[in-house]
Amino acid sequence: MEKKKPHKAIAILWPSFMVAVVATGIFFSTFDPVEIYHISGDGFELSGLGHYTIGFFSFWLLGAVNGFLALYFLKPCE
Amino acid sequence: MDKKLKKGKSQELESEVYKKHTKVYPREVHGLFARLRVTGVVTLLGIYYLIPWFTWGDRQAVLFDLPARKFYIFDWVFWPQDFIYLALLLAIAAFALFFFTAIAGRLWCGYACPQTVWTEAFLWIERKVEGSRQQQIKRDKAPWTSDKIKVKATKHSLWVLFSLITGFVFVGYFTPIRELAAGIVTFQLGVWEWFWLFFYGFATYGNAGWMREQVCMYMCPYARFQSAMFDKDTLVVAYDKERGEPRGGRKRTIDPAEKGLGSCVDCNLCVQVCPTGIDIRNGLQYECIGCAACIDVCNDVMDKMGYEPNLVRYTTEHRDDGHETHILRPRIVVYAVLLLVITGSIFFKIATRIPLELDVIRDRNALYRETPEGLVANIYTLKVINMDEERHSYRLRVDGLEGLTHALDGKVLEVKSGEVLDVTEDVVVDPINLKKTSSEIIFTLESIENPELVSEQKSRFLGPLIR
Repeated sequence: MEKKKPHKAIAILWPSFMVAVVATGIFFSTFDPVEIYHISGDGFELSGLGHYTIGFFSFWLLGAVNGFLALYFLKPCE
Repeated sequence: MDKKLKKGKSQELESEVYKKHTKVYPREVHGLFARLRVTGVVTLLGIYYLIPWFTWGDRQAVLFDLPARKFYIFDWVFWPQDFIYLALLLAIAAFALFFFTAIAGRLWCGYACPQTVWTEAFLWIERKVEGSRQQQIKRDKAPWTSDKIKVKATKHSLWVLFSLITGFVFVGYFTPIRELAAGIVTFQLGVWEWFWLFFYGFATYGNAGWMREQVCMYMCPYARFQSAMFDKDTLVVAYDKERGEPRGGRKRTIDPAEKGLGSCVDCNLCVQVCPTGIDIRNGLQYECIGCAACIDVCNDVMDKMGYEPNLVRYTTEHRDDGHETHILRPRIVVYAVLLLVITGSIFFKIATRIPLELDVIRDRNALYRETPEGLVANIYTLKVINMDEERHSYRLRVDGLEGLTHALDGKVLEVKSGEVLDVTEDVVVDPINLKKTSSEIIFTLESIENPELVSEQKSRFLGPLIR
């Protein structure tokens, strides 16, 4: 069944969102972003919520890339 | 749920809906189940919007303070180390969901899911502004006039306002809400607070205003697998076909039996009230969220016709087939036992929780250092977290190697309630006593006031081998 573009977008964005929520929870309960910042030394200064926001969206992006590739490789090669 | 129906019919329906989505205009409904849902909506939204405003002592009662990495929930303070509680809590939520689904079907969807709750609130606003279902349909078909623009603009403004308040309260769970409110009034909010306010607000507006039942059909993972928890004894909303068919319109004064008619007057109201736009008379469908709006409206009609109620009602497949409904059945017992075990373990864990945490991190820069006396030293960074309500003094012991000395020996570490103490520890050993290049050593931290407060951490001591 050929799905339309908005539904493909949902199929990519929604599962990666849920995974990102879980990943953010596990990641930040293990690592304190302030410590990561100190270890890496450089990078730009962020306020409290900033680290967590960027972390969450990074996980979301990674998941979305994964979902996109999965859908892409599902296409028959012609 | 009927497997064949699930595969064949729903796929057909799905592709149909995927091709062209038509807006569902749920008709307003009154009755027992509608009252239950309104109670649910008011209670849950009330909890959501009010909880951040409560204070507990000198702090916000419920606050997920991410920058400080502490979660305050009334009397409790949770730390990242307490992640296990969150995991257990989620497991409890999952098994409670399985348990209630197996007994009474999609209770969660119909009465408690945030999607249902906020959609219900948005529908209420829509009805207040746009009027009844018929008025809405008529207006949407009509060409754009200044009046239509005015009505639509009013509705969307109210929706946006409500969404922004929702977003604001969401951020208020992570940033002290009173400061947040002050920050909004003076336009002095952090960029991330603004961002989440608008992001969560936008998600609310999109999901409850526009997506609605489509979230349940295409996005909800629970909707996809809930049928796995159904069996023939699960409560479902169903139409009594035997009694209702053959359906047909008739005058109230007519005896349906004479005309050869069933109880269904084919008024179509059950379809009009359905938030997912299905016809319950077609049997069980995966779109049905079990909201029971059709039961309410049909009972109204039955009452007006002077017929017996419950043409559409909560029933089980077994009861419909003339069998007995069993409440106690293996899957219910299994879910209940798992639920009890997990709930018990979380209480046990909280009861035996030691509010002291010790983290030992080896110095990353050097494996080991040789002192001028020819001894081997390892440096560790210790993190002492006092999760107790009161201040404590601790003593540190290091064991595991013969003749070991350490810098903090005999020193007292004082940590206030809820504070984290970072200290450097120097452990020194004569290399003669080293049997391996990496040996295990144990750090033991003990409270002087309360010897039951003990935390033990293992680490490695690295050094050269002298043979």
